[in-house]
Amino acid sequence: MNFKTISTVISREYTTKVRKKSFLLTTLIVPIVIGLGLFIMIQLMSSIGTRAQKVAVIDHTGGIVLPYLKDNSANTYLDYSNEQEAEIKGNLEARELDVLLVISELDSLNSVSLQAYSRKPLNVEFSSIVNNQVNEAIEAYRISTYKDIENLRQIIDDVRSNVSMTEFLLDESGNESVSESGVYMAISMVMGIFIFLFITMFGTMVMSSVIEEKSSRVVEVLISSARSTELMFGKIIGVALVALTQFLLWIVFTVGIFVVLSAVSGGFGGADAAAMMEMAGTGDMAAVTAQGGDAAVIVSTIAKIPWGTMILSFIVYFVLGYLLYSSMFAAIGSAVDNESDTQQLQMPLTIPLMIGYMIVFFAFKNPDSATVFWSSMIPFTSPIVMLARIPYGVPAWELVTSILILLLTVVALAWASAKIYRVGILMYGKKSSFKDLWNWLRQK
Amino acid sequence: MIIKTIDICKSFGEKVALDHLSLDIPDGKIFGLLGPNGAGKTTLIRIINRITIPNSGQVLFKDKPITQEDVMRIGYLPEERGLYRKMKVGDQAMYFARLKGMSRGDAMDALKDWFVRFGIESWWNKKVEELSKGMAQKVQFITTVVHKPSLMILDEPFSGFDPVNAEVIRQEILRLKDEGASIILSTHNMESVEELCDSIALVNNSKLVVTGATDQIRRSYGDSRVELVYTADAALESVPGVFTVDSDIIEAGVHTAMLRLDKTANEALAAILGTGVAVRSFRELIPRMNDIFIRLVTGEGR
Repeated sequence: MNFKTISTVISREYTTKVRKKSFLLTTLIVPIVIGLGLFIMIQLMSSIGTRAQKVAVIDHTGGIVLPYLKDNSANTYLDYSNEQEAEIKGNLEARELDVLLVISELDSLNSVSLQAYSRKPLNVEFSSIVNNQVNEAIEAYRISTYKDIENLRQIIDDVRSNVSMTEFLLDESGNESVSESGVYMAISMVMGIFIFLFITMFGTMVMSSVIEEKSSRVVEVLISSARSTELMFGKIIGVALVALTQFLLWIVFTVGIFVVLSAVSGGFGGADAAAMMEMAGTGDMAAVTAQGGDAAVIVSTIAKIPWGTMILSFIVYFVLGYLLYSSMFAAIGSAVDNESDTQQLQMPLTIPLMIGYMIVFFAFKNPDSATVFWSSMIPFTSPIVMLARIPYGVPAWELVTSILILLLTVVALAWASAKIYRVGILMYGKKSSFKDLWNWLRQK
Repeated sequence: MIIKTIDICKSFGEKVALDHLSLDIPDGKIFGLLGPNGAGKTTLIRIINRITIPNSGQVLFKDKPITQEDVMRIGYLPEERGLYRKMKVGDQAMYFARLKGMSRGDAMDALKDWFVRFGIESWWNKKVEELSKGMAQKVQFITTVVHKPSLMILDEPFSGFDPVNAEVIRQEILRLKDEGASIILSTHNMESVEELCDSIALVNNSKLVVTGATDQIRRSYGDSRVELVYTADAALESVPGVFTVDSDIIEAGVHTAMLRLDKTANEALAAILGTGVAVRSFRELIPRMNDIFIRLVTGEGR
């Protein structure tokens, strides 16, 4: 291959794609959507935060429950145990309180009853949050009464972890495990979907570009000035650079739009944009929906994710996955006369991609299942599935094996695709079948 | 010889495209590659350009096996040609010139020259989709020759041109030849072949039918036809075994007859004089390339 020729091909491919209106549109629209989405999300989050209810608590248990009522973004608890219930009930507004929560004394079953009084309807999560926290307090108290059983707390936790899958609400407020898996799930899905979209989007871009050259007969002119491999790989690399440019512009524009929006709206209750970004980065949807707003759990979970491995593998899998599929897309493109004939030949490429995409949705249920394991080894699905597995932790040997298999497949298929491409671009007229492709591959 | 092909065979599956084809293409001349559609011309051109690999046989470029570097210097105008529709004419011409290994500056200078020569400077920033077919063909022609190749292969260079522009291209081809380039011209336009080609090869059914200097070939197929102008009271009759009268037109008492000779011109002339007609002129007819082409291809043979 001639370096000068291939770089000429790359630069044409790149400049014409980047100057296209469609490139400009997607480059602008995606950040606007994401930036606006983030902005609205954070507006919502901060508005929830500023409306934290002041809850006056009268605790008749003598301090068994109160320490378990922890302040969060929705509620602030104030100890009014020494005051008269009726007095406060009548003066909620005057005392700038939103809710009065009365906790009864422990009854014979070591339980309590709760009464909440407020002037406005309580927000939806209030009762579930308070119930959970009070239940936790009662539970802790009951455990403490079984003095003769060692490590009862731990035993109960162990027991609970077996059933916690269904107790989503309970775990949201305190137990970390579900929050963690929620975060893992979100990240692994985002990763999987992202790489799926990128491979499909830019793989098809390579294919259209091949078809454009073929159907306009430009390739007939090109083929005497450049080798078919130079043309094919120049195209693939050129489109990869377009992908990279788009990706970088998305990041820059998203941050830009977000900062501008924040500046225009004058910040969020005094907080500056940078802090908001941090919240956005760590919170995602989980933060908004987390009923306790327990951001600390999410932050700590995110900190536990092996980001170095994650980013590195994202790059490796994106590059290899893109090379694998785009060279096959190029071969398919070379076999047809126009875009509408691609449907049938494209199937063997889109099906494994779709399968990988769907496995990602099941990966979080059982990241160690055989299906997930093998699909993260098979090169046609591994770029998508393995990336989705990484947040859960993947043994190094599996990662290395998967990458090696992928790399070898890329080399073999790029070679085969180049052979098919070489013959295909000069074939016109009849619709090509897989049998034709196979014959071209074997042609000297 | 700029190109010499030795015993080239190529088949695609069952279909034989070239059958033991050997050709000598002389240096500094215009060489016509003729043949009906599907004869194997394009395959031969692609083999010379190393786009297609022959099953057997060899292509020599200046007496050495042709290399990719040689091919890079060839200016090839394929029959099925196109431009990027959405790309600007100037950018596109630059791209092709750069692919041929020209530096940005050289390419720009040479392209500007050509655009001025063809009077199309104003097209530089137009997109190809705004051009007519003839206009696009002009751009194509420029991109083929801009890097001053020593060998040009032009496949149907006149298609899509009106007579005026076709003449412009013809003149440019002659000018390139005068500057020392060798040109392989594949065309169905036989008038251009007569006007431009120093020598030709005719390929039919994957085989070489005839090759040689254009004049010689035309003469060799013309030795039996004669135009006779005479005056006589009665029209000339055929003399079996000597000549046959194909047609005879009388205008103002002057006959113009087309004869086919079965003996030499001398014997035929003697026989004609013997009939008592007054001969005004006796002229050997060199057949048009068009007629030779049709005769050879439809299988009338010699």
